[in-house]
Parts: sequence; C-alpha cells; structure tokens
Amino acid sequence: MDNSVQLKPNDMFNTYLLFFVIHSAQIGVGVQGFQRIVYQDAKHDAWISVILAGVATHIVAFCMIKTLEVYGSNDLYGIQQDIYGKWIGNFLNAIYIFYCSIAFFSVLRNYIEVIQAWLFPGISTWFLSATLLLITIYAFTGGLRVIVGISFFSVVLALWIFPMLIFPMKFATLDSLYPILEANVRSLLKGAYSMTFTILGFEIINVIYPFIKDKKKTSKYTHLALLATTFIYLSVMMVSIGYYSEGKLLRTVWATLTLFSFISFPFMERFEFVAVCFWMLIILPNLCLYLWAAYRGVIRLVNISGTKFVWIFSFIIFLATLIVGSRTQINMVNNQVAKVGFYIVFVYPILLYMLTILKKKFTAKKEQTNENT
Amino acid sequence: MKIQLPFTKSKKRTTVVKETIKKDIGMITPLKNEFIQSIKDATHNPADLMIKNISPNLTLVYIDNLVNDVTLNNHILASLQDKPIDTPETIKASLSIPEINISARFEVVVTAIVNGSVLLHVEGFSEVILASIPKQESRSLTTPENESQVIGAQIGFNENLSTNVSLVRRYIISPDLCNENFVLGNRTNTSVAILYINGIANEQMINTLRQRITDLDIDALIDSAVLAEMIDDNSISPFPQMLLTERPDRFCDGLLNGKLGVLVDGSSMAIICPQSFIEFFQSQEDKNLRWQIATFARLLRFSAILLSVFLTPIYVGALTFHYEVIPLAFLVPLSESRALVPFPPVFEALLLEFIIELLREAGARLPTKIGQTIGIVGGIVIGTAAVQAGITSNILLIFVALSALASFTTPSYMMGNVIRYIRFPIIILAGFWGYYGIMLAFCFILIHLLRQTSLGAPYLSPFYPPRLKGMADSIIRLPLPLTTKRPDITRPTDQEKYNKEPVNPKNS
Repeated sequence: MDNSVQLKPNDMFNTYLLFFVIHSAQIGVGVQGFQRIVYQDAKHDAWISVILAGVATHIVAFCMIKTLEVYGSNDLYGIQQDIYGKWIGNFLNAIYIFYCSIAFFSVLRNYIEVIQAWLFPGISTWFLSATLLLITIYAFTGGLRVIVGISFFSVVLALWIFPMLIFPMKFATLDSLYPILEANVRSLLKGAYSMTFTILGFEIINVIYPFIKDKKKTSKYTHLALLATTFIYLSVMMVSIGYYSEGKLLRTVWATLTLFSFISFPFMERFEFVAVCFWMLIILPNLCLYLWAAYRGVIRLVNISGTKFVWIFSFIIFLATLIVGSRTQINMVNNQVAKVGFYIVFVYPILLYMLTILKKKFTAKKEQTNENT
Repeated sequence: MKIQLPFTKSKKRTTVVKETIKKDIGMITPLKNEFIQSIKDATHNPADLMIKNISPNLTLVYIDNLVNDVTLNNHILASLQDKPIDTPETIKASLSIPEINISARFEVVVTAIVNGSVLLHVEGFSEVILASIPKQESRSLTTPENESQVIGAQIGFNENLSTNVSLVRRYIISPDLCNENFVLGNRTNTSVAILYINGIANEQMINTLRQRITDLDIDALIDSAVLAEMIDDNSISPFPQMLLTERPDRFCDGLLNGKLGVLVDGSSMAIICPQSFIEFFQSQEDKNLRWQIATFARLLRFSAILLSVFLTPIYVGALTFHYEVIPLAFLVPLSESRALVPFPPVFEALLLEFIIELLREAGARLPTKIGQTIGIVGGIVIGTAAVQAGITSNILLIFVALSALASFTTPSYMMGNVIRYIRFPIIILAGFWGYYGIMLAFCFILIHLLRQTSLGAPYLSPFYPPRLKGMADSIIRLPLPLTTKRPDITRPTDQEKYNKEPVNPKNS
C-alpha cells in the first residue's frame, strides 16, 4: 500500500529546526510543577528518576526514528494503515488523534488553571480558553512553516528564563541530595513513570518526519533536543530538591513557579507573574503541534479542509474546557493523559518497531520467493 | 490569509477600454482644416492647444503647457523659417531634435500630443511628424527630508522619473543595471520603472514583481506608496512589506544586495523589495559608521522599538492588576504621583498617548515655523499643566514621552507609524487583562510576523528561518570581513558581495 506523504521541497523545513520543534513540544505546562509528583515516589532521589525518564525517551525516540526510516517518507498514520490494514489501522489512527486531542486539551486546561491560580482568580475560563484557542487557530492556519517558527521563537525567546534558576540556587543546599540512591529501584522507576506527563511531546516526530528535509540527520537533532530537555528538567529538579524542605515540596503544586516567586530585580519583584504570562509562548508550540498532529491524522480519515477542521476542533475543546472545571477533574485528565501517553508513546513504538521489522522481513522473503518462482 | 482586493486582476475592464480606443482609429486626413478639427475633437479643444501656420501648407499643433518653449523656438521654429517645405521626410531631416517620429496613425498622434510632442502636419500628406520636446518640470535635487543622516550622501530623489533613474545610474555604472518600463493607470498613464541588477537579483522574484505590476488594472497612480500597498504580499497587514525610501544611496545599496527597486514618475519615494522586518530598522548610515558604533546604534534602535511598544502597557498592567511586581522602593513615588489622579491607569495612559499623537499630527500638518510653537505648547504647557492639574501622573508622562521618542528612532517612517499605533490595542489589552493581555498581543504579533512574506521571502529573515551568516548584519553589524554575503531574503544569484581578503589586510 503506497500512502506515503508526497511533499514539495517548499513544504519541508531544515533538519536543525527539528531540535526546536522537539524541545518546545516537550517543555510545556508539566515543568511548572512536576517536582511534587516525582518526589512523592522517589523522594530526594527524584533527580535519578528524571535521568531514567530521559534515557527512556532516547530509547523510544530511537525506535520511532528506526520505524520511520523503514518507510522513507511516511508518518505514523500511514505506517499504521500499512501494517494493520485499512480498518484496524484507521482505528488505531483514531486513537492517536484522540490522544493528541486530549493532550492538547490538558495543556490548555492546565495553563488556564495556572493563570487563574496565580494571576486572575476572577477571570472566567471561557475567556482564557477562547483567546488561547484563537491565537492557536491563527498560528495553525499559517501552516507548518509558522508552527515551526513559533517553536523556534518559543525556545529562543524563553532562553533567559533558564538562568533565573541561579537565584534559588543561592539558597539551595547540596546536602538535600544525600544520601544518594536511598530509594529502591521500584520507587525510582515509579518516579520515572510519573515524569511521563512532563516529558511527553517528542512523539511529534511520528507525524512531522516526512516534512524534514535531510532525513539522515533526524536522529542527531532529535537526541540533542531530548538531551536538552532532560538537562533542563534535571537542573530544575535538583535545584528544587536543594531549595525546598521535604514537607514543603510535597505541598507545593507548582514548585517551579514558587521557585521564581522570590526572584526580584531593582525594577521588578515577584518574577513569577511575568513568568506565568510568558509561559504562553512556551505552551503555544505544544498547542500548535498537537493540533497539527491531530489534523494530519484526521485528513487520512476524512476529507476536510484545515480551516474547517480547526474551527470544529477548537469548538469542541472550548466546550470541554468549560465542562472540566475543578482541580480534581483537571488532575484526573492529567493522569489519564499520562497513562494513555505512557502506553502510546513509550510502550507502543517499541512494539511497532518490532512489527515493522517482522513485516519488512516477511515482505522481503515474499519478494524473494516471487523472484525465485 | 489572502483577500482578493478589488483593484487586482479584473481583466474584463482592460479589454473594454481598448475597444473604445479602437473606435477612434483612423487614418490622418491630408486636409489641413479637417486635421485640426480632428485633433481638437480628440483632445476636447483645450484652452492651451496651440495651432500655428508656418506656411500655407505646414501647420504646427501642440499643447502649450506641455512643450519646452526654448526648444520649440530654437530648434523647430528657427529651422523651419526659411526652408522649402516638400515632404514630411525632408522636414524630419532638417529638425535637430533627438526624438522625432513620423506616424500615420491617429491614436499615436493623439497620445504623442498629450505626452508633449509638437505635431507637424504638411497639407497633402496623411502622415504627421511628431517632435517630442516635453517640458520636464521638476524641483532641484535637495537633501532627503524624511531620512536625514549625518554621515553619507546628502541627496534625495525628486519627483521626476528620469532624474531619479539618472541618479541611480550615477551610483551604479554598469551595463548590468536593468531598467524595465511600464505604464500604469488607465487615466494617468504613469510611467513605472523596475530596476535591478542582472546577475544578482533573483529571476523568479523579478518575474513575480513584473507579474504583480502588469496585473494591476487601476484608474490612476499618484504615488509610489499606493503602488507599494497594491503590490504588497499582504495589503491587510499594518506592517509594510516593501521599503519606501527617498535616498538614492539606500536604493542602490538595496539593488546591489539583490533587491528590486521600483520608481514611479511623480513620486519622490522609491520602492525596494523584498524587505525583511528587521531591515526596516536599519539605517543607511549604519553602513558608513564603524561596526561597533553601528552595532550600538542598531541595538539602541531595537530596544527602542520594544520600549516603545511595551513600556506603557507594562505600566498600565502593573498598576491595574499586578501591584506585586512593582518593587517597594518604587511603589512610594509611584503612589505619590498617582495619588491625585482620578482615572484608572488605562484611561490615563490612553489620554496621554492621545495627546502625544495629537501633537505629532499637528506638528506634521503645520508649516515648520508654527510646528515649533506646537512643540512648546505640547511639551511644556500641556505636559506640566496636566500633571499639576492632577489628570496624569508625572511618571506616566515620562513613560509616554519616552515611548514616543523611541518610536521616532525608526529610520522608516512607515514602520515607525506602525510601531506607534500598535501600542494602542496593547494598552487596552493591558488595561483589561494585565500582563496576560500584553502576552496575548505579543504572541499575536509574533505569529502575524511569522505569517508575512515579502515578495514570497520570509519576513522575519534572517531570524526565521535562522541564518547565522545573515544575523551578522541584522540587529548588529559585525566587521566587514564577516558580512561578505548578500542577505538570504533576496535569494541572490551571486551570493558573495566581496572577497574577504582585501577588506581585512593582514598586519604588514
């Protein structure tokens, strides 16, 4: 079945931009408060869990790229159609689209909650949701060129936030990290599992792969991006462990933002107010990329124009943000995204890779026998 | 988002116009009186139509205000005085005028007379001699008023196309300088010239520009700014995508970088395209200064834009919602200055910005002498009085004045306007939703800029798509050996501007 994505060179983007795409897709709402969740399981060895999770992303990304390389210029949707046939393939595609949609939703809903909790307790959800969706729609209708551009600027313009960690570092103590490896392997792995929601996003490679110009360098930039993300998470985690006392960290929902809250400059205090607003630029690539990934899947199932799709999609998401209101509900969504994401992003690609290899061998053998007879 | 504009590509109308002209096609009568009558009819008998009989069978017809009197007297009338008149050919040979033609087609004759030709009709011949001696009305070349600079050429374009082209030709003495002419406007018949350097400019871009200009079907074309808006990639956007400049040196520098230039007759502003967003904030003077100074000037200008767009909104956002952000030491003077002000910050800021814009507009419209008075009235009287009356806080007054000042550092007037006006929606957003509103506007502008193209090339080049070589000459300017490449936005055929080595001689 030939369902590969045919593209003109103009639609493609340079491979090194993939670094920004993957990096910006990973960093989003999760980093604002992932410390508590990981700390619950792995205690002060949480940073080892972060490294473990980072290593896992490298392994999975390796499998993903290998799978994609087999097919040349095709995305996950096409590969699934090819391996499982039309019906089961499309069913799995629908699941993947659904996953992209709820991931989109959870990013949006979490950001709205952060805004409401830190900045404007009184501002209505529908307003925040509508404005963010409109911006996303405006970016999406500009095409992949604009989306990749936003990823690029999101990374570059947010670079200055990272050095802000120096301020809390002055008050952090290395002693909190000792003794190393107190937690057992089980809780370390559990902690790594808790990283899922935060570290998700690099699965965009599954969909964006055909749009890369020089596909040979894909793995180089993907792994660089994953490394950068892991490095950032690791530093945030280590500073947090050093800065907070144990009980404090377990009670802090958005530990990163709280870290920022005492940073002050001669012209500005309470840095987190700026950071929370600025986070819009950081989540924008998440929203755009998930939306775009969902769209790439949807056009395989139904014949729909981009504009029509984005309005319908946004309307559904808009309604959903109104329905899911309370913190417990949002937490539930996050947990579900993490659970689904764990299976779709971390377990399934390895399985798919094996299937692809099997199928490749099988077809090669078949062709050989065909040639022989 | 492409919206079809009403003035583009309506090919139906062109054909209709051509048909009406075709009706008038006819041969020229050999009879003198009939010929005069037909010219009168075709030009609707204007008051300045002159008909002179040199001898019984030779008639001169011209429009008085269109022809050069001196040439007419010295080269036409003088040479015709004592010569025998036989055929149009002999007359043509006897006149010492460079542009002279013979035509038997009536429409050509009518076009010629409105272009400044003298018609010589010999009775008995159905051919007319067209001696083109148009009067070139143009002011003398002066310093560029809108884009002044300290170091650099002090000459600007004027309103005459041929003067402007000659200025460019004087800068670029090369047979590769191409000049294509078009006539635009069904009623004004304005000459438009596309200039580019063959071997540098991208062929595809030339075709695109040519296509855009020839596709236009417009009634009249008065100024190049109108043309620039019509051939822009996105006319709906407030951001101009083509540069308007009145500096020949900047124009030529653009051409040498592989850009295309458009000159319009009757307009002192030349169009340069493709132009990236960041190039609007570069001045030609940056090229003439040492790189450290130029880099500083560019960084200054760039921070001025950010300041100009975001300073007042940040003030409004902080005072309306985010008091926590203001440092304690700053809170005291701020609350003191605002203690008497009865308005919410957003209203206060909008009021002051409005006053500043009023002053600017009044200063721009008034003659220079009164303009200075306006500055004094605005700066001292309104500023001080407003603070003393307690309408505004003096800290905001500083911010607003600072952002107005900052917006004037933009070398391109068109872009400077945009920088000033996009502040207003951001102030309103900041007044309602604080920093969230500002960030919303920031993201919106970023996406908007990402979506724009200039002649099909990315508007945010060289930042996106990122080109490190290009960034060496963007918001900074590195030493000449590091900026040997032409900008990527022009997709030049020849990428190297000059060889590194001679520019950077080794210590000898």
